[in-house]
Order: sequence, then structure tokens, then C-alpha cells
Amino acid sequence: MFAYYFKLGLRSLRRNPALTALMVITLAVGVAASVSTLTILHMMSSDPIPHKSARLFVPLIDPDPLDNYTPGQKQDDIQITYPDAMNILKSGLGVRRTALYGVAGSVEPPRREIPPFNMGGLAPTRDFFAMFDVPFAYGQAWTEADEARGADVVVLSRPMAEKLYGDVNPVGKRLNLMGFPYTVVGVTEKWKMLPRVYLLQGGSPYATGEEFFIPLATAVRHETQHNGGMSCSGNIGPGFAARLASDCTWVTAWIEAASAGDRSEIQSWLDSYASQQRKLGRLKRNAPNRLFDVPGWMEYTGVVGKDAKLQTWLAFGFLALCLVNTIGLLLAKFSVRASEIGVRRALGASRTEIFRQFLIETVVVGLVGGVLGLLLAVGALKLIALSGKAMANLAQMDWQMLGLTFVISVFAAVLAGLLPTWRACQVTPAIQLKSQ
Amino acid sequence: MEIRPIFSALMRNKTGPILVALQVALSLAILANALHIVNERRGIMGRPSGMADEHAVFRINVRTLGNETPEQQLADIKRQSEVLRAVSGVAAVAQVSQMPLSTSGSNTSLALDQRQNKESAVGSVYVSGDSLIKTFGLKLVEGRDFLAPELVDVNEATENVFPPGVIITRPLAEKLWPGASAVGKTMYFGTGAEAQPTRILGVVENLISAHGEFNERAMHSVLIPQRAYGGGRGTLYAVRAEPGQRDRVMKEAEAALRKSSPLPLILDFTTTDEDRSNKYRGTVTVSWMLITVSLLLLVVTCCGIVGMASLWVTQRRKQIGVRRALGARRIDVLRYFILENFMITSAGVFGGVALGLALNQLLVSKLEMTRLPGGYLIAGAVVFWLLGIVASYGPAWRAASISPATATRSV
Repeated sequence: MFAYYFKLGLRSLRRNPALTALMVITLAVGVAASVSTLTILHMMSSDPIPHKSARLFVPLIDPDPLDNYTPGQKQDDIQITYPDAMNILKSGLGVRRTALYGVAGSVEPPRREIPPFNMGGLAPTRDFFAMFDVPFAYGQAWTEADEARGADVVVLSRPMAEKLYGDVNPVGKRLNLMGFPYTVVGVTEKWKMLPRVYLLQGGSPYATGEEFFIPLATAVRHETQHNGGMSCSGNIGPGFAARLASDCTWVTAWIEAASAGDRSEIQSWLDSYASQQRKLGRLKRNAPNRLFDVPGWMEYTGVVGKDAKLQTWLAFGFLALCLVNTIGLLLAKFSVRASEIGVRRALGASRTEIFRQFLIETVVVGLVGGVLGLLLAVGALKLIALSGKAMANLAQMDWQMLGLTFVISVFAAVLAGLLPTWRACQVTPAIQLKSQ
Repeated sequence: MEIRPIFSALMRNKTGPILVALQVALSLAILANALHIVNERRGIMGRPSGMADEHAVFRINVRTLGNETPEQQLADIKRQSEVLRAVSGVAAVAQVSQMPLSTSGSNTSLALDQRQNKESAVGSVYVSGDSLIKTFGLKLVEGRDFLAPELVDVNEATENVFPPGVIITRPLAEKLWPGASAVGKTMYFGTGAEAQPTRILGVVENLISAHGEFNERAMHSVLIPQRAYGGGRGTLYAVRAEPGQRDRVMKEAEAALRKSSPLPLILDFTTTDEDRSNKYRGTVTVSWMLITVSLLLLVVTCCGIVGMASLWVTQRRKQIGVRRALGARRIDVLRYFILENFMITSAGVFGGVALGLALNQLLVSKLEMTRLPGGYLIAGAVVFWLLGIVASYGPAWRAASISPATATRSV
């Protein structure tokens, strides 16, 4: 019977073309609006490293002076000071630790036909690659010895390596970077975290990935300027050394624990570290030391834009309107078929059968609307992707969203069809037959 | 006179009217809020930058390969500034620390008194050894521009110098000293005992900050008379071309800079127009999306009203015929349907006003939006009343054209 009703449903699409087209289009537009905004929200808020996001922790220690402070106030910056980051690196907490800051610098391509250009990257410690699952195409991360010496070594991204050296293994080659000769030790495979939680500073968290990596110690030794924000509460002295020693926040630290349960251990280390620093005259605010896992960090830093949420809400409001509209149209469509229902009922069809038939018919409308809505959503996402690189990274439909589109459209159609279908079941055969 | 019978007819068959009213209510609520948001964004994008003829201004970011000493950098800045000034069609050149709306720059907290520990305002800091009033085309409304001896060279790698005098924007002056003249007054960089005093030498009408925040902070800028070098981040120049010559000047400036440098240079040219459109790109996208949804809302609601009204007309053909046969004129039938629709729309409009306020309340509390001015709801109500009348006119006209003879024949 299902297949037959399905066929009937398809056929009835043609019966009242104007009304049906209106219904399908209304549903499609509603589905398209909600799916396209939901796709962006989904991509923005998706966990970029799901299998270990619960055991990667980022600490915040508020170094600002006591004045200007009301207890409970949110810290100005989402970074920490260089001395605190160094102490966390040395702490032995968890299984791995890293500290990092964004860098940008000039590069002199070995191939003369490319003029010098600027590239953006990261200065982490070597554990960063293992902590964030960075895959390598050639070579590997720099060694601990390199890191200890602050050696001039660099890891390039795959697109950057290809741009500079073509399609060969560049490990061991020399590269003039920011005025110093670096040795290439590795090339990362194409790797992009969306959002790039490890450093929510300097540029959009959804923009392109890193182009190169140099050891933190090397960056500090060469006094490489950081690329991103810095928050200072007092007036600091001139020069790079003063910044390193200052209470300015410009570094991010990460701790990878063996399990999510080690959180309290890390928290208590942070608290005892902070009280020890207070004895040395720092951290006057005595503000709570905060520790976030990846989802908590995304929540705290508000990476998911308010605009994205706003759009999604409005789009779902719009879908609700489309639903109400479809209910009205379905009522109209079914009401003219009262006599047909009367005949079926008189010939022995039960109410359940009528209910089934008309519900399947609305599902057909929902499916057609869903397919059209999906096409419209893909078009809308293409349009949205034109508005900048970050958006182009976000406006991408995945299988999850495809499935969700299907579910939303059918669910919407069934929801819209319930009342009209119930009404159709209420038809009394006698009256219908009499009036014919 | 007709309202009572129409009302009792509506009460007998509630589903359809409720659906239409619900549609009107939902659309009105969303439309009013969406248009409010769009208008607010437009206001933000339409804020003046304070620069005269923005289209004539561009920035150049210059990086040199290799590591230069701070002294070499200072020599470079002076030489490159001269090279740029010599390009024909260049009206003014300034080496500067940040550019308006470029989304990269620094802020400082400002205080009125050394004893206070809470800042009075946050200023966006423009550090330049040249006249930004000339290069940006700012309007000086009080006081004076910097004099040549006040423009000092500062090696950022070794010294930390606070300027004895600065120029601020009028909105910042108003914030610090409401209703009073700012010129000659003293303010402090930072708060607390370490705060450094400076005097206000001049006030410019406006200059938007580098980040173009979406609040009043965007207009709080401070001009500092220093040629800063040795920071190791490349050098930024603001260049004003003669009107209409920007694109040609950019090409010639690039050639001139490359020719003048013994080392290869990395040059990055960006016009202020590009900075502005990059800064507001997301805002424009949101606005267009909201406008599209608003238009679709109107279309869908209109379709809904037409559809339901047509249905009612079809269902009541016989009754209309009877009424006509009993002496009702066409105009009476037309009026009946339009009035009926008006009543339904009105119910929707009242519901929509309440729903709109509730939605706004939600947006205010969850997404930090501003309150919805009543004007949007009133305008929305008028729009939907008109929409209701226009949309129901077609079906009502068809109802009125039903001839009594055909309608009563089948009875």
C-alpha cells in the first residue's frame, strides 16, 4: 500500500499545479534558509579535534594589577604572560605541553622567479605537532636538541613547500626567513583546524591555516615580533627583552593530559603556582585561575559569532512561518477532495487508511520541497562563500548537514500535514455522497 | 454594522483565520526585528571616518629582506618618504603606526587623573612623524596641528617616550570633558601612579579607529607626534593622491620604491576603500541575508493570505449567490471579504507586535542587541494591514463577480 500511496502522492502533485508549486516553493525556501545558516553555525561551532578535545587544556592566569578590578570580572585577554607560559612548559603537567605565539615574516624564495613575500605562521614548541595531530608529508618536527638550542629550523606547510620548492622533498634545504638562514626539517600535510582553537588571536579563527612553524625558542632568540594582539596593563620598558619579562599577555599555552579526569590535578597545580607567584609579588588580583578544555575554550572565547546565531534564529523563525503557510495551503488542497474521501470511506477504507494516504502525500511534498531546498541552500552557500576566505571555509555542506536537510524537510512537511490530514479523516461519507 | 456577523462567521470556522493571523504575527515579528538590525548595521557602516575624500588614500606596508639596525630603518623611512613625495600626483605622505578600519592597530587606556584606577576612555593610537591632519584630510576644529619641533624620532627598541602633547578627536574630547573645551587640558596614558601626563594641543572633528568597533570607542582616537622606528614590523605609509589619480599613483609609487632600494622589498598596497569594504564585509553579508529573508517573508505571507482567501471564496460560492439573490450588491460582497480579512490581519498584527517585542527581548538578553524602537512595529503593522487589503482584494473581487444565477443553480 505504501508504494501505491506514494505513487498517488506523486500524481496528485500534478493535480493542482499552482497550489502545489506554491507549497513546494514555500517549503523549499524555508528549508534552504534554515539549512544554509545552520551549516555555517555547525561548521563554526564544530569540535575541531573531537577525539581529544576533553583532555587538551588551556590555562588563563590573570596578571593584571589590582586597580581596575572588581572580583569576578572577566579577564581582558585570552592569553597569558611569557614567564607564566615558560613555567607551565617546565611544570611537567600532563603528557605534553606547548606554548606558542603567531609570527609573520618575510621569506626569500630560493627560486629567483618568485619575488620575496610575507608569510604567516606559528612559533610553538615541538610537542604542538603531536598534541594537535599535525600530519607530516616529509621529515618531522624539530628535535629536542634543536629546540633547546633555539636552532634555525623550520617546518613548512605543504602548499608553501610546493610554492617554494616545487614538487620535491625540501627537507634539508636552506631558506632565508626574516633575515636568517633556516633549515627545512619537515613539511606538514595539508592541515587546517576549523576553528583554529590553538590560537584564537590575529585574524579570523576560520581563515587559512599556518604557512610555517619555527621553534618558540628560536623566535624568542631572534626577537621575532608576534602577530596578534597583546594586552598590557602598565607601561612596559622598550625592547623585546622587556616584553618577555613583563606582565603583558601575548602567549597561549596548552597542556595535554592523559585523560579528562586529570583536570583537577592541573587546576590544583595552577592554584599553587599562582599563590607561589603571589608571594613573589605578582598576580595581585588573586583572580581565579581558569582552565578550559577545547569545548569550554570555544565557549569562553565566543568563537561562534553572535551574527551566526542571530541568522540561524531568524532563519528558523522564517521556517516556522513557511510551515504555517504550508498548513494553510494543504488545508485548501485537501478540502477540495472531500468527495473523493467520501467515496473511499463508503467503499470501506478506514480512517487510518485515509490518514496514511494523505500523510504520505504530504511527505511527497516534503521530499520534493526538501530536494529543491537543498539545491537552493547549496546556491545560497555558494553566494555566502563569496564574502571572504573565512566564510568560504565555513560555507561547506557536509554529509551530516545533507542528512539534516532531509530530516528537516520531511519533518516540516509531516508537521504541516498533520492538521490537514486529520481534518481529511473527519469527512463523513454520507454527507459527501448525498451532495453528489 | 457588518462586523458582528463577520465575527460570528469567523468563530464558526477558526482554523483558517488562526493560521493566517499566525502568519501575519510571525512575519511582523521577524520583519520588524530584521529591519531594525539592518538599519543599525547601516548606521554603523555609514559612520564618517573623519577623512576627507577617502577614495584618494592608500597604505603601503614596506618590509625589507634582511635585518637592519634601527638607525638604518630610520634612514630608510626618511628616504622612502621623500621618494614617495616625489611621485607626481602625491598630495601627502605620512609614516604611521596604523590605518583607519584596517583592523590592525593598538589601543591605550586614558585617564583624567593620576589617582583614579579605572580608565576614563580607551583611545586608538595613531603614531606618526608627519602631519596626519594633512594626509588623512582631518578637520581641525580646535587648537592646532603639531609643530615641526614636536615631531620627534623614537627608537622603539631602546626607548619609551611619552609625548608632551597630543591631538584627540572631538567625540573623545566630549567623553573626557563633556561640554568643555579640551585644548590645554591634561590627560594621562594609563592609570595609577605610573600614568604619564600629556596635554591636548588640538581637537579634530573625527577619526575612526583602526578596529572600527561597533560602539562609541570607534571614534576615540589619539594622534601622537612621533616617528617610531626599530619596532621590527616593517614600515607603514599612508599616502594621499590628488583626486582621481590614486591608481596611477599606486603603480608609480611601487616602481619608485623598488628602484630606490638596494635590497629587495616586500610591498603591500591597500586602498582605504579596500580596508573599509574588508572591515564591513561580514556586516554587508548579514544585512543582505536579512533583507532577503524579509522580502521572502512578505511574499510568503502574501501568498498565504491569497491562498486562504481564495479557498474561503470557493467554499462559500453558494452563500454568496444567496446573498446576491437576496439583494446584496457587489460592493457589499467585496466589502465583506475585505473587512473579514482586515479583521484577521488585525488580530495577526496585534499578535505580531507582542511577538516582535518578545523576540527583541530574547535578542537583547541572548545576543546583546539593542531595544527595538516602536516605530518599526508601527510601520510593520501598517505594511501588513496594507498587504492584507491588497492580497485579499483579488479573491474578494472574484467573490463579488459571482453571479447570483450560477451560484444558486446547484442548490
